Amino acid sequence: MTATAGSGYREGLVDLARGQVSREIFVNDQIYAQEQERLFARAWLFVGHESQIPNPGDFFVSGMGEESVILCRDRPTGQARGLKAHGEIHVFLNSCRHRGMKVCRYDEGNTPVFTCPYHGWSYGTDGKLVGVPYFREAYHSKLDRAQWGLVEVAQLANYKGAIWATWDPAAPSFTEYLGDFARYLDLTLETWDGDDSGVEVLGGIQKWLIPCNWKFPAENFSGDSYHNISHRSVDLVGIGPSGGSGRRDMREREMARRLQVSFYERGHQTGVYVLPQGQPTPPAYAHSPVVSEYFTHCEEQRRRRKGEWGRVIGSPGEVFPNIALHPRQPRTIAVWHPRGAHQTECWRWYFVDKAAPREVKDFLRDYYIRYSGPAGMTEQDDMENWNYAHAASRGVIARRHPYSYEQGQGSEIENYEWQGLRIPGTVMDITEAKSSEHNLRNLYRRWAEFMEAENWDELATWRRNDRDIVRAAE
Amino acid sequence: MSELVNTRALAPGMQIVLVDGAVAEIVSNPLDGVWVFARYLSSPVDPSVVGSEEMIFAQDIAEIRAAP
Repeated sequence: MTATAGSGYREGLVDLARGQVSREIFVNDQIYAQEQERLFARAWLFVGHESQIPNPGDFFVSGMGEESVILCRDRPTGQARGLKAHGEIHVFLNSCRHRGMKVCRYDEGNTPVFTCPYHGWSYGTDGKLVGVPYFREAYHSKLDRAQWGLVEVAQLANYKGAIWATWDPAAPSFTEYLGDFARYLDLTLETWDGDDSGVEVLGGIQKWLIPCNWKFPAENFSGDSYHNISHRSVDLVGIGPSGGSGRRDMREREMARRLQVSFYERGHQTGVYVLPQGQPTPPAYAHSPVVSEYFTHCEEQRRRRKGEWGRVIGSPGEVFPNIALHPRQPRTIAVWHPRGAHQTECWRWYFVDKAAPREVKDFLRDYYIRYSGPAGMTEQDDMENWNYAHAASRGVIARRHPYSYEQGQGSEIENYEWQGLRIPGTVMDITEAKSSEHNLRNLYRRWAEFMEAENWDELATWRRNDRDIVRAAE
Repeated sequence: MSELVNTRALAPGMQIVLVDGAVAEIVSNPLDGVWVFARYLSSPVDPSVVGSEEMIFAQDIAEIRAAP
């Protein structure tokens, strides 16, 4: 097969009508190379959280696709001290403009400047080139330093403390990129009781490599509940926050409607649980009375502030293309950084309410890391699956045979409503069906659109619909 | 020839002599081993820079000036 840009993705490699996706999109190096330009250079990507850089000069080295980037909060440099307000958040390409060396090789810290160790060019935390060795002697003071600052992202958004960025100046704003999916992202980024005190990153960021294509974990977190069988050993051990079998508190889920929600025009998708009207959220976190009381109080406040929407409990989801959400038990965001067609670098952030008591944060840290990350028992199951699924899909024979994505085709519901609560997005109710690949198909639908579209005029299909509505009204 | 100066050891308040004969006082040190921030105390080549603060490249530093 040939992977030429501009044709062959929809109805070819991604055949949603038949519910089939070619293995080539996971293992083909040519397609991988095209993804860097067509997806990662155009989409909005998660970079970090403002709580990681609270002070001027703080930085955190992150990634956007294959690129190393610096998330930082600027501070005065040299003579600029005290002359203007600082503290603005930036995201820069971590690459010297002179010969490309990384200007920051630490994971995080605080600095007045980023200095390239190769030839010594030095940049302020606002990205300006402030130090050029032998500027007078070798450049005769003629180098236009204003033209040679660090490359900055085209757009940056601070959404409820989470920092997102895109390299594409033509991309829609981040809130437009999200659409109504923002309500589901909020389940991860807002405090559990719904007040304005914010969340913060708990501890360090976990980073590790898996020998698989980045779309394996992206698909898994889009709402693949069919694979729960592979977590059965963890469920038998029982790692949940209340004891007994399982890896979470289940009472709230057992009484809820279980839904998969997709946003066709955005490529975002998630699972959610919707509690019955008038039912309080059952108690959880029975291992610790302090934690249990904290969440009981939070749930009461959340219902009061959010009304009927407070009946919604988040489940794994995915912001297109490679940002995984896990709003509750554990509460975390993961980014699946592409590192070649056959390797993924996973980064996982854990979140807690900033104002939560110390005992709550400590309890959650212990629970989170026994669930997720490279040492987490649940994530180890997943990694094993992705690892061997990828390896077994690389051969010339294996590549001839597509994967099946037929579950639940034709059962999607628009304008889904249950007991007075309307659910944004296209919904698959899997309470009785147990499982569906509705959300997974949505990931590949959007993936194929990105791979084929030449620009954001083609990708922002919702704008066309808006125009159609306006025209129809006229 | 003077000893090679370890720029990471330069603390605020210390004085340095530059290769062009200028003298500057360390204001701050980012500890990157390449640059220091310093204020010119004298400059035989360009007296207009005296009093100004600049980033000084490590290889432009000739020596540490003994405390007066």
